[in-house]
Amino acid sequence: MEMLLQALASLMTFESVITVLVGVSAGLLIGSMPGLTATMALAVLLPFTFSMEALQGLIALGAVYMGSIYGGAFTAILINTPGTPSSIATTFDGYPMARQGKAFEALTAATLASVVGGLVGVAFLLILAPPLARLAVAFGPAEMFWVAMLGLTLVASLSSGSLLKGMLGGCIGMLLSTIGVSPVGGETRFTFGFPPLQGGIELIVALIGLFVIPELLTMAAEGKGALPREGDFGKREASIRQVARTVFGKPVNLVRSCLIGQIIAIIPGAGGNVTSLVAYNEARRFSKDPESFGKGNVEGIVASESSNNVMVAGSMIPLLTLGIPGAPPDAIILGVLLLHGLRPGLDLFTETGVLTNGFILSMGLAALMLLPVGLLGARLIHRIVIRTPYYFMVPCIAMVTILGTFSLRNSLLDVAIMLTLGCAGYFLRLIGIYAAPIVLGLILGGIAEQGYVQTMLAAVTDPFPWLRLLSNTLSKVLAAMVLLGVATALVPIWLQRSGRLDKASPDKRGEP
Amino acid sequence: MILKLNTDIAAGCFGLLFCALLWFPQSDLGRLSIIFPRAILVITTLIAIALLIKGLFFSPEERQVEITGSPRRLLVVMAGFFIWWLLIDILGFAVTSFIAIYLLCWYLARVQGPVSTGQLLRWLPIISVIVGSFYLTFRHLLNVRLPAGLLF
Repeated sequence: MEMLLQALASLMTFESVITVLVGVSAGLLIGSMPGLTATMALAVLLPFTFSMEALQGLIALGAVYMGSIYGGAFTAILINTPGTPSSIATTFDGYPMARQGKAFEALTAATLASVVGGLVGVAFLLILAPPLARLAVAFGPAEMFWVAMLGLTLVASLSSGSLLKGMLGGCIGMLLSTIGVSPVGGETRFTFGFPPLQGGIELIVALIGLFVIPELLTMAAEGKGALPREGDFGKREASIRQVARTVFGKPVNLVRSCLIGQIIAIIPGAGGNVTSLVAYNEARRFSKDPESFGKGNVEGIVASESSNNVMVAGSMIPLLTLGIPGAPPDAIILGVLLLHGLRPGLDLFTETGVLTNGFILSMGLAALMLLPVGLLGARLIHRIVIRTPYYFMVPCIAMVTILGTFSLRNSLLDVAIMLTLGCAGYFLRLIGIYAAPIVLGLILGGIAEQGYVQTMLAAVTDPFPWLRLLSNTLSKVLAAMVLLGVATALVPIWLQRSGRLDKASPDKRGEP
Repeated sequence: MILKLNTDIAAGCFGLLFCALLWFPQSDLGRLSIIFPRAILVITTLIAIALLIKGLFFSPEERQVEITGSPRRLLVVMAGFFIWWLLIDILGFAVTSFIAIYLLCWYLARVQGPVSTGQLLRWLPIISVIVGSFYLTFRHLLNVRLPAGLLF
């Protein structure tokens, strides 16, 4: 407690507050650019922290991390383009709301949910770090396989109209994830004798291609912008207080999403993209009005944004206690810790407890800072999107996507893959195969494969190797959750088809 | 533009073609490398066949897909993106992007009426500033080695 108070005192200086403010603003700016991820934001700003003291450097990077994850929501809502992978699920309802002239409501809900998510994540990190870290260690290959399968049940709710087409999309995504070097066997697969493909298809490349390019092509073909010019910010219809009432009026969704975010965040490798998708799926599943999801339901935004911001602090639990990065940006934080001679583990909470607690509390301050910075930024970015003519918008966004894609690995091949996937994505959308299940398959394919193959490898002498997937209580619980997930996704469809569900109506929503 | 197309059959055919593309290059791979992709390939094939059966025998009415807006503009912009990509390596990122943005702006702006010379002249500094600022930020601040090509 004494350490916590000392840490709070060290944080309440003018220098620290300014560092957080600048960090959040810089993160928001980078995160809102398609292709520039939170990892990249941290990597880019890392050299600026070398000359700072350990605490200031960590405060700056924590604030950048928080700001960039939140920044992804801006473009997700305004131009249907997730700024970072963790805001994929925000596009599903955010963009339809923006098109309906409710951009302000959507952005404010995203801001409030992000602030709550960020604060909850920090609280979890402060209170529950040691016991939750112990739980993370229990996740072996079999458990990771079931976690991936649990995520894949989401395909059912992302399938617009046809479950089969959604499943086909998910499988295509998983197959795309197998291109390149095998994670366990080490052999090169499906490169067609083309060595540059050995690195596989980068998630961000596919993400930009499948989400951004079809949108640009649609804007170009229709000859109008992403948002209607006459569509205003929506502030007249809803004030901040009204949006807050909407967000906090359904606390169950918020609490559930935060819990999902926290649980997934402590599993190394799962990352914010998975947390937001799973939280979105659960929000839809438990909603009294699941049909409205994908058409502009604010609950979808709240679920996605609260869970991915919980992940920011949540993923620090395995990092600070075990030295295992919970998400890719955490690896950079780990680098800074090591740079200053700080080793993850118990010492971090005892010998350098003031510094560690100061860093954790600074993330809470960064979460609070999202409120003023986000609400001011929302107006500015919305104005830019609305006032820029579509004929400027299309080529300029294309340039940013090309730049973002290229800068990931300095590869023009990545740009070609992005454009090819984007053009294919446009035509696939026409025949009912949407981007979201493909991206989901791409994210979870690698996790599922690694878990499955490692389990099979460990069970090579067993008479029934696949039984190893259900060898302990945790994996059995996860498998049961997968079955439950599949059942809850399929039962409504069956009820609808058999005519037992009165309110059922054909799902005609567009891109989820 | 409205195309008469059974989307189930189209999706099924696409699924089968995609599986065929990945089915043949897997013969030389070891068990650990192929066990997972093969399982997914089999599942994908089954789903594609199910879609074909559904499309052929269970589709209730004639299906159609709608390409909103101008298909010609769609194809021109699509081709424009690929030409942009091709020229980056030859002319350099900054020059290619300036030309590509300028031409795309002119082509897309014509939808709203003829583009005057004054407009074209006004765009020159705007596009130069946009491309220049992104180029300088990425090249010098973020240290991304953008393709230089013949020019820059």
